[in-house]
Amino acid sequence: MSTFAFIVGGILPGIAVVIFIVGMVYRLSVWLKIPQPGRMTLFPASEGTTKAVVAEALFFPSLFRGDRVLWTFAWVFHATLALVALGHIRVITGFVDRVLMAMGMSAEGIATMSGTVGGIAGVILFATGTLLLIRRLTMQRVREISGLPDFFALLLLIAIIFTGDMMRFGAHFELEQTRIWARSLVTFSPQIPQHGMFLTHALLALLLIMYIPFSKILHFGGIFFTQSLIKRR
Amino acid sequence: MSRRKKVEDAITAINQGPKVLKLYMEMCARCGTCASQCPVYYAKPEKDINPVIRSDLIRAIYKKLSTTSGKLMGELVGARDFSEDDFEKWAEDFYECTGCRRCATYCPFGIDNSVITRKGRAILHELGLTPAVMQRVVDISLETGNTDGASPKAFMAAIEFLEEEMKEEHGIDIKIPVDVEGATYFYVPPSGDVLVNPEATTGIAKVFHVLGMADQWTMSSKCFDGANYGLFTGDDASMKADNKLYVDEAKRLGAKVMLMGECGHAYRIMKMMMEPAKWWGDLPFEITNCLQWTAIHIKAGRLQFDKTMNPMPVTYHDPCNFGRSCGIVDEPRIILEASCLDFREMYPNRGDNWCCGGGGGLSAMDTILDFRMEITGKKKMEQIRATGAKYVAAACSNCKRQLIQLMEYHNEDIVVGGVHDMLSRAILINGKAAQRIDYESGVAVESESG
Repeated sequence: MSTFAFIVGGILPGIAVVIFIVGMVYRLSVWLKIPQPGRMTLFPASEGTTKAVVAEALFFPSLFRGDRVLWTFAWVFHATLALVALGHIRVITGFVDRVLMAMGMSAEGIATMSGTVGGIAGVILFATGTLLLIRRLTMQRVREISGLPDFFALLLLIAIIFTGDMMRFGAHFELEQTRIWARSLVTFSPQIPQHGMFLTHALLALLLIMYIPFSKILHFGGIFFTQSLIKRR
Repeated sequence: MSRRKKVEDAITAINQGPKVLKLYMEMCARCGTCASQCPVYYAKPEKDINPVIRSDLIRAIYKKLSTTSGKLMGELVGARDFSEDDFEKWAEDFYECTGCRRCATYCPFGIDNSVITRKGRAILHELGLTPAVMQRVVDISLETGNTDGASPKAFMAAIEFLEEEMKEEHGIDIKIPVDVEGATYFYVPPSGDVLVNPEATTGIAKVFHVLGMADQWTMSSKCFDGANYGLFTGDDASMKADNKLYVDEAKRLGAKVMLMGECGHAYRIMKMMMEPAKWWGDLPFEITNCLQWTAIHIKAGRLQFDKTMNPMPVTYHDPCNFGRSCGIVDEPRIILEASCLDFREMYPNRGDNWCCGGGGGLSAMDTILDFRMEITGKKKMEQIRATGAKYVAAACSNCKRQLIQLMEYHNEDIVVGGVHDMLSRAILINGKAAQRIDYESGVAVESESG
């Protein structure tokens, strides 16, 4: 086993999970604690604050009304990202498989669906991620507010998507190995797939996971706070 | 303490709240949607006008002071130190935002850049760098209780004049009670609605008269101006001191209801800030505004109108503080539709409405008149033109001032006034509408002759 593989596949996952959890708990608890005197409600505000906030997190209705083109890129990008995250949970835990099998799907059926849906999702992610990058580079009002962290976050995501896609379309990788790897990590006896593309993908993804609590990507948690304040009836 | 230290302390203090500000320092995804919905950026799409860049004036220093990445990586992650050279830019840039909160309506996270603008202005204030014209309004208001610096005597003269006007209009005595202790309603207009644009106040007096409640309301000869520019200069202490004058006066009068006039920010401070944050503890009175109050009586069929008194096309401009910030949007329309023959919507409207261009106190700043007329008010001018209206009603003295100047500047023959002004001209008293209207902004005079 190479040192690189051992670091990426054996040591980094634990570090990343700890940093992610501690970082998230820290950031969110700070936000929870700070006082807010006065009301910031923006009208029209509907009666159900929670419903409105969840709707914002799931469908971005404010953005839809504000910038239709960005909404299309952003929503498709985020929704596909969520689907892919779910797919990764399936691969790692097997829990989703059990649910699907209980619903009557065969193992082959699940594998075919995973291949098709995952493949399409990978292409969509790469395309919308690239569109978001092009938008950031070419549209004046976005370019003038874009800095290194904005490009770094987007390029990191695109790189993760690209390496993920490559495992499907290029350097073929047996998914089952991921499940074995994940289980081996829990028992502290790492069995690390010796696969360059897999290790690159894992390295970038783990960097992202560690980066999230300290970056603007935290907006997926923050949106509930900020939207609650202005949707509060 | 050095000026730089003061700035840094004020920005570090964001870590203690308010919650919105702390979140806005850390949450922006820099998608550029705010700029596409900003009235100022619409007319001047330049980097310094971009709401994100303006907010970065503070955000960058916050990053440097309060985030690890900012401390370690500095400018690479958009963090930087405050420099004395920044003051000039701050003083200019933070007074180029109208605080209309339209950005927050469309931001996917609801980030309200006006909160950051106000923080910037608060810091400027602390250093004595508030534009002189704005500071003067705050000082005069604290000194005299109103932003016009009018004395109780001048106020009484104005009220007397309004009572005479109503007598001429209707042939009967319609009272405007002043300093009556024990009256249920304490009416708090902007001073402009007594001294400059008084038809809104005669409208209110007529509503009380028709309802047979003429003895149940009062104005105050000391507190007749809800306007409170501490909101705009970011000066919380002055804002609260000014607010306290009115709360104390309501308590002294023993009022059960504080009835706010056609002034969006005054109502917002009372209803969205002072009351929920309990600046002065629990209040012995409730807070409402004249638009809601009158609309209730119209819906209940207690008021009748002769719409032909207002035959010209009329549109309504939603003041940002009344509409977007307080949700008072249906009520002014109920009043205008009841009292005008040809009410037209302006698009977009209600919570989506574009700022008049004078928000955030800018309308008081004639030092930037061209900027307000050419840039901040550009979208509004286009919107109003598209309606074909000859009268624009705005329930806000700041909007009115901006819009009146906008019409003059662009040579538009469009009258700007209040909502209750239209009601005042059309409401039936003993079966008859006002017989004589010759205020300066009297469109009705034209319609009478024509």
